[in-house]
Amino acid sequence: MSLLELRNISKLYGDLKALDDVSLSVERGEWIAIMGPSGSGKSTLMNIIGCMDKPTMGEALMDGVDIAKENRKKLTEIRRDKIGLVFQQFHMINYLTAVENVMVAQYYHSMPDEAEALEALERVGLRERAKHLPSQLSGGEQQRVCVARALINHPEIILADEPTGNLDEANEKIALDLFSQLHKEGTTLIVVTHDPEVADVAQRIIVLDHGRIARVARGASVAGA
Amino acid sequence: MNRRRMFLRMVTASLLRRRSRMLVALLSIAIGATILSGLITIYYDVPRQMGAQFRGYGANMILLPGDGGELTIEAAQDAMSVIEREQLIGASPYRYVRLDMVSRQQSFMAAGVDFEQVRRTSPYFNVEGRYPENDREVLVGKFIADTIGVRLNGVMELTYQPAAESPSEGLREGGFAPGEVLSGGAEGWNGGRVYVSVKIDGDGFIESVEVDASSQTPEIGGACETEDFTSRFIGKKLPVALGVDVDAITGATVTSAAVVEAVNNASASAAVAGSKTINYTVSGILDTGGDEEGYVFLSLDGMAALAGGSGSLDVMELSVSAAQDELERYASIINEGGAVAARLVKRVTRSETAVLSRLQALVFLVTAVVLLLTTICVSTTMMAVISESRKEIGLRKALGASDGGIRSEFIGEALLLGILGGASGALMGFAFAQLVSVNVFGSSITFQPMLLPVAVLVSMAVTCVSCLLPIKRAVAIDPALVLKGE
Repeated sequence: MSLLELRNISKLYGDLKALDDVSLSVERGEWIAIMGPSGSGKSTLMNIIGCMDKPTMGEALMDGVDIAKENRKKLTEIRRDKIGLVFQQFHMINYLTAVENVMVAQYYHSMPDEAEALEALERVGLRERAKHLPSQLSGGEQQRVCVARALINHPEIILADEPTGNLDEANEKIALDLFSQLHKEGTTLIVVTHDPEVADVAQRIIVLDHGRIARVARGASVAGA
Repeated sequence: MNRRRMFLRMVTASLLRRRSRMLVALLSIAIGATILSGLITIYYDVPRQMGAQFRGYGANMILLPGDGGELTIEAAQDAMSVIEREQLIGASPYRYVRLDMVSRQQSFMAAGVDFEQVRRTSPYFNVEGRYPENDREVLVGKFIADTIGVRLNGVMELTYQPAAESPSEGLREGGFAPGEVLSGGAEGWNGGRVYVSVKIDGDGFIESVEVDASSQTPEIGGACETEDFTSRFIGKKLPVALGVDVDAITGATVTSAAVVEAVNNASASAAVAGSKTINYTVSGILDTGGDEEGYVFLSLDGMAALAGGSGSLDVMELSVSAAQDELERYASIINEGGAVAARLVKRVTRSETAVLSRLQALVFLVTAVVLLLTTICVSTTMMAVISESRKEIGLRKALGASDGGIRSEFIGEALLLGILGGASGALMGFAFAQLVSVNVFGSSITFQPMLLPVAVLVSMAVTCVSCLLPIKRAVAIDPALVLKGE
């Protein structure tokens, strides 16, 4: 069974069809990029995959559970247990240190564990920056803390929203290397991006347009392999 | 780090981060708690404070003779022993006797009192002159003084007549004592009174007459003071008749007739055996605007000297600094004894209770308004905090915070604010109450330790209530907010 199985989902906002009969299945360990111009339905799709919204029609099976049928509370639980989120704006709690920001995710998931949180920071190369506040970290470092935070509860899927959108080239490379490493370790990655270079690192590129899947391509790295 | 420590870390860090906002909230809670604890202190202290003030309105409990018995000073003091010593402001004995001022043909009630206690139980007494200082001085009510024309420092000749309510008509049975001096008065020219002193022998014949006609026209009626006129009475037997026994002075017939009438009155008024007359000096005139003005006050010993008897009272007035329910309790204990009957002066206790309950209602109302204002202020601040941190709340939810989790974090912040604000407010409130007490009532108050937990709990409750609406907003925030990268 696929990890994520979207069957003919549509999302209506009044008369507006944000998503129109989209079907998509994502296997465990797969790396998917979702592209598309503004208003193509990327955000809506991401909200549904991230269990923050429900489709108006169709089935959205997350590990076999149809999130279209679940209530808000249950969606929160699924998100907490199965999804790790990485944002374009990083979204750190700016009065907590790097390690505490990681521990917030542990706190909502189960139990804060500083040692484990420090290990996660080690993985993203920020062990020595653990006690720094977000304001003392660069954008790249903040994004790496967010990746560490996304990983800390061992999610089934890392859902990244323009993860490199606010990063310079050097930091973009670091982030992508990190994703590659996660991919190698078997983490399922869904990356929403504008950037063809970032998309190309993925195995499969889904291009949305007007709420429909306009095109599915193979990532350059895969194609080239 | 366990969950609780992480929770505390998040909550305190969040408060510290929004320092300026939270200071506003903290300040409003602290001020609310200040006024709350201040007013609670005053609320509980007011009865004590006002009780002492109210005692200026006079006695609030009286002791009367019990079943069929008489009220002695000893019995009254025995009954009073149930009252806490420091609550008893004053205990004033009263003994009432009807006395006459024979020369003016006036009869009135006299009260034998202990002037030192009167000053305590009736501080509103306004005395022109001074209180009597010995047994030969009297305090005269203004009404009596005006009616019979007694002046400050004047002499008042008071007569006690057992079983006689007013001067009887006619001559005394059994004749007169040799050399006895009788006095009397009558209305002369133009409403002025003339007074006489008549000395008689044992058979009722007049030996001499002295006339006070100072109220009459000196050149006309004044002639009645002369020996030319008074000698006309000598050797005559009482009663005398004008034109028969005594001829009038030509041109002063009205005054002459008044003197004759006064002489006859003198013989009639001194008519009861066993009577006793003592001269007192008027040391003060009493002006209260009330019934007291119709009494003559003298010391208990002074009264005993005139009317005999001692130790027996008609009433004991008590001024007790206690609330109505406590007074009622004292009264019922005293009444159980039976020897003495205790009554509350309802006029006083009721108005005291009414004033107190209104004052307390006012304090209560002000407290409620202050708490409401605090609630609004804290609520507004929290509302601002939440709209400022929509992103952060969205993030927390995206990271898996449940609605309950968000709620408990904000309630945690609210409780922390409540504890800090309440504790500081309780201390400031005590200072506030102390200030009010010293400046308004002129006495200090002691800190009630219970105030601290009460103020803290109420502050916590107020902040929690204040946060209900803001928290509802926070919980409604959509986690997807964080994904729409702005």
